Amino acid sequence: MENCLIETRGLTRRFGQQLAVNNVNLSVPAAGVYGFLGPNGAGKTTAIRMLLGLIRPNAGEVRLFGESLNGNQRTLMRRVGALVESPSLYPHLTGRENLEVTRRLLGAPRHLIDLALETIKLTKDAGRCVREYSLGMRQRLGLGVALLNKPELLILDEPTNGLDPAGIHEMRDLIRRLPNEFGVTVFLSSHLLGEVEQTASHIGIIHEGSLLFQGTLGELQSKQQTRLTVGVKQIDEAIACLASAGWDVQRVDGLLSVSARAPQDAIEINRLLVERRFDVFHLSLAQASLEDIFLTLTKRPA
Amino acid sequence: MTSLFRALNAELLKLKRTLAFRVIFVLPFLVALLQFFIVWRTKSFGPKFNLWQTLPTNSLQVWAVFMMPLLITLETALLNGIEHSDKQWKHLFALPIPRHSIYFSKLVVAQGLILVSTIVLAVLTVLVGVAATYMKPDLASEGPIPYVWIAKQTAYVWLASWLIIAIHTWISMRWSGFAIALGAGIGGTFFALFAACASVGKYYPWLLPMNIFIEGRFTAALLLGIGGGIVASLLGCFAFVRRDVA
Repeated sequence: MENCLIETRGLTRRFGQQLAVNNVNLSVPAAGVYGFLGPNGAGKTTAIRMLLGLIRPNAGEVRLFGESLNGNQRTLMRRVGALVESPSLYPHLTGRENLEVTRRLLGAPRHLIDLALETIKLTKDAGRCVREYSLGMRQRLGLGVALLNKPELLILDEPTNGLDPAGIHEMRDLIRRLPNEFGVTVFLSSHLLGEVEQTASHIGIIHEGSLLFQGTLGELQSKQQTRLTVGVKQIDEAIACLASAGWDVQRVDGLLSVSARAPQDAIEINRLLVERRFDVFHLSLAQASLEDIFLTLTKRPA
Repeated sequence: MTSLFRALNAELLKLKRTLAFRVIFVLPFLVALLQFFIVWRTKSFGPKFNLWQTLPTNSLQVWAVFMMPLLITLETALLNGIEHSDKQWKHLFALPIPRHSIYFSKLVVAQGLILVSTIVLAVLTVLVGVAATYMKPDLASEGPIPYVWIAKQTAYVWLASWLIIAIHTWISMRWSGFAIALGAGIGGTFFALFAACASVGKYYPWLLPMNIFIEGRFTAALLLGIGGGIVASLLGCFAFVRRDVA
């Protein structure tokens, strides 16, 4: 695939007998936010650790920016920032000093620290020891450390885990701004669909180590089943009528539930019923939530 | 090489406000204080007593056999503990800096802190000696202070401790718990205290700094301390570089 910042081929990692990551082929396009979605224990963190070279795959390959991670780790990691699970901070140092530690390790210019502090809105609290920080502030500082070297690719593992609603909101806002304002591609893992839905343009769904879906948010949404609920007086006759017209129809709580793809279907079904003189008193079209898709996808035996 | 300097530079900043930094002054102070009391409370010194030989030797021996292994245990556990506490290893390993640079920066900082601490002890010991010549005028005629000799002894004790430092660096990097490092330190020192006279004591890592002062063991202590230290460090580095970071 062209212009993929992250590409994995047959990525596999075992822990003892257990397959944590099984033959995963990721393609993460440049620009935008890629949401890496899966329930807890699906293999997200293991996959991310392999992307960062923290653990070695048993099989398969990781390619970043079109180059194999194997042997190029140092040059490639210059272009990557990462925040894996909880932020790695030194509580006895101030916010600024924490950034300075990473700056020294990178040999990066000094002014980047102020820039990072500004981005994560911690300039005011930069002189305080991190042990006095709230969880949200720590998470932001962790993001600041990841952003310090102006990476082209930012890898975030569950960045809102454990935060309160205000913290989640702040973090989400920040992540959403990054692609546009800094031109960075964000690879973000989460077990919360709502989280990813609000920030990501591309989505990969992993379950029990295997990738079940990969594509744009639109493609995922197009997999959504729409159902039309119809209220009609002559219920048994209506079922027979619709079934004979080729609709997939079920009786649910005294109403009809018809599987439909688009509003156009609702129009046709309604017209059919009214023309046959059925008394229609209710008509509503409901999209199955992404949550349902997610559940359908992840329930499928891997 | 640049990456090692970068890592060292970062390590120095991490020492700020830490116990690891304060301890290197506290422990030598305790040993010097002990020497001070000994000099102060001793009624008479025998005719063969030589202040500038006995005092630094005593001081460094107490250091070598007990305080120094304790300090090494503490320092390596504290230096690596700050990386375990918030799982910083994963952050460090995801940076574009080779793992061996991170490893050697930790090792070199530990060695450096132990060296500084041992020098602090030497300086305090000289001060105790000077104080002694004022308190006990009969000791004043002991002649000039043998700075070069004291410096050499200090350096030897430090060099002989490289193997212990390497072992403890490996232990405290490998296991996050303080208890394991402490157990190893106490165990190592415990046997050292009581096995000094045994013939295997010549090769026992925790006794090498002490062996500097024991006749017939000096060369072995230096060679094993430095050589063993280097070999153990390289092995530790090899294990560290290949580690999976959970």
